[in-house]
Amino acid sequence: MIEEYDVVVVGAGFAGPVAAKKCAEAGLKTLMLERSENPGEKVISGLTIPIYGFLFGPAFIRDGNPPIERPVDGIKNYVIYDIKAGDIDTVELRIPRPLSPIFAFGYNAYCKPFIAWEVDQAVKAGAELRTSTTAMDVIEEDGRIKGIVTDRGDRIRAKVVINCEGSQGILAVKAGVREKYPPEAISLADTYDYECPREVIDRVFGYTLRFCWGFDEQMIAPPLGHGNGLMSWPYRNSIHWMQDQCLSLDGGQVPNLRKLFDEYHENITTQLPWWRDEIAPSARLRARMWEGFEIFAGLDDRLRNMPNYTDGMILVGDAAGLESTGLCDGVPAAWFSADIAADTAIEAIKANDTSAGFLKRYDRRIKAHPIIQWTITCRGRWDLRKAQESHDRKELRARVDHQFGPGLLTHLGTPLTKSILEWLRKDPTVITKWVRMFLRYYHNWENEGSSRENLPGQPKKRGTLDITLALFDALGKLLSPLTLVVVWLLEPLTVAVNPLTKALHPLIELILSASIKMEPVFRPLTRWISNRVKQADPTIFDATKF
Amino acid sequence: MVRKSERFPGVEWVGETGAFIKIDDKKCTGCGNCLRVCLGRCFEIENKLARIKSLDECMECAACWYVCGDGAIDFAWPPGGTGYRSDWG
Repeated sequence: MIEEYDVVVVGAGFAGPVAAKKCAEAGLKTLMLERSENPGEKVISGLTIPIYGFLFGPAFIRDGNPPIERPVDGIKNYVIYDIKAGDIDTVELRIPRPLSPIFAFGYNAYCKPFIAWEVDQAVKAGAELRTSTTAMDVIEEDGRIKGIVTDRGDRIRAKVVINCEGSQGILAVKAGVREKYPPEAISLADTYDYECPREVIDRVFGYTLRFCWGFDEQMIAPPLGHGNGLMSWPYRNSIHWMQDQCLSLDGGQVPNLRKLFDEYHENITTQLPWWRDEIAPSARLRARMWEGFEIFAGLDDRLRNMPNYTDGMILVGDAAGLESTGLCDGVPAAWFSADIAADTAIEAIKANDTSAGFLKRYDRRIKAHPIIQWTITCRGRWDLRKAQESHDRKELRARVDHQFGPGLLTHLGTPLTKSILEWLRKDPTVITKWVRMFLRYYHNWENEGSSRENLPGQPKKRGTLDITLALFDALGKLLSPLTLVVVWLLEPLTVAVNPLTKALHPLIELILSASIKMEPVFRPLTRWISNRVKQADPTIFDATKF
Repeated sequence: MVRKSERFPGVEWVGETGAFIKIDDKKCTGCGNCLRVCLGRCFEIENKLARIKSLDECMECAACWYVCGDGAIDFAWPPGGTGYRSDWG
């Protein structure tokens, strides 16, 4: 059977629905293929989606109400020098109260419901979804990709194939767009999901992620210092837990992960004091899964510059090697690149030119994206793994601070500021949309998913929060011309943000630490703000009006 | 048909995947890299060559494909709607 579409999107993960929705909204005949029976059930990871994904990602996510598990206010790092002797240091990067948890560092989510929500938005926009369908090969004619062949032998022709199949990139490799990644660029993530009562999670984690980094022989962070460490994410009534390790060590040795992961898991769960004493008694293992991802592909010039497009095909997200070495997140870059891929496909089809020459603009835009480039080229974690091999306490602590502590601001500052200004230039009222997003997401978390079904029976009368938001909107509009002038003045200065935060690093650490110490003073104010948002009628946060 | 595993709770394997991972005996040197990285214990060594013992606990991560320096492993996605699934990823 031969079918014809304008765009075929391969893979309905985090990226696929973003691309499909945009193409469908542009009036293109769009088909989304997914190999699993239900979208999201073959997507594995522990998941904090950092805030930059929501701020600068697709508008329908920013303005929508996706299912989230818990807001995140930062990271508490445990630097383990000697676990048996209890010689453990901490490094914390956290948004202090009363700003957090409403103004979050990111949001935790289970992949399946989040992706199902995204897919639903794409389908409502007119994209067609076909599940239980694997794209096995491409249709190639005159050296150009003209569509894909499914596992059932169906030939689906498309003007552009947007390939969101994930890090393995089987279809991309088969089509000769890029090579398979070498094992030293791939990390295998061994992931556990523990059920745990909410009150225990609230008490131990609160809204803060917990990461562990240790010297190699501590056997806490994965073997030989070549992994990420141990990461744990608090969800609503569960904890996600991950250790991961590169498939190849320096010198080409392939570690015995089958054995090592079990040993490390045993060590961590029985020796790490806060896990052993506070979590283990009430946690129950619900699931164990694993997946590979191209964690260090962006650090190698050759791998980073492998093609992400060809005649008739664009690679997106992990399929294009955009997994982050920065904060171990793949979702924001998947969203950004899917958005850019859709724009490129729409322009190409309109211009009736889907050649590699035209699609090259996709690559140019990816390379000009400040956050994508930061996430894939950030060397902090690579250096951290070297510090894990050493026995230099100062070096290990400094590397943790640089990558997952307050030092993060010394290299994320410039790309973050650039992106904020870029968005303000495009839409001077975007701040009001960001604020509504924070409030809506917090309401969602507190009310276990705000929805039309659990709206209050009687709409509340206009409260002060509603009036404040309306005033804020009006102010945003009124000040738009001034915002544009400020953006114009500040844009040339963004390159100075990193050096400035570096110079001020001791002061920033001091301020952060002092503001965390001051939190008890703000407890009543934090509670008051949280309650106002929690009890509000969610329609005042607008978006879809639920 | 739905299969479960005691070692990997929260994961199900559905349908018949067929042999979506294949080993080329002519290229395999029996180095055992695939055994070392496979958490699903899908491989074994027989007559100094790797062979697939069972794909019953394969989570389609392709680690075996990445670490095979001899290019002996062919990895394809399994047919639509088959293989592992989980609600907890």
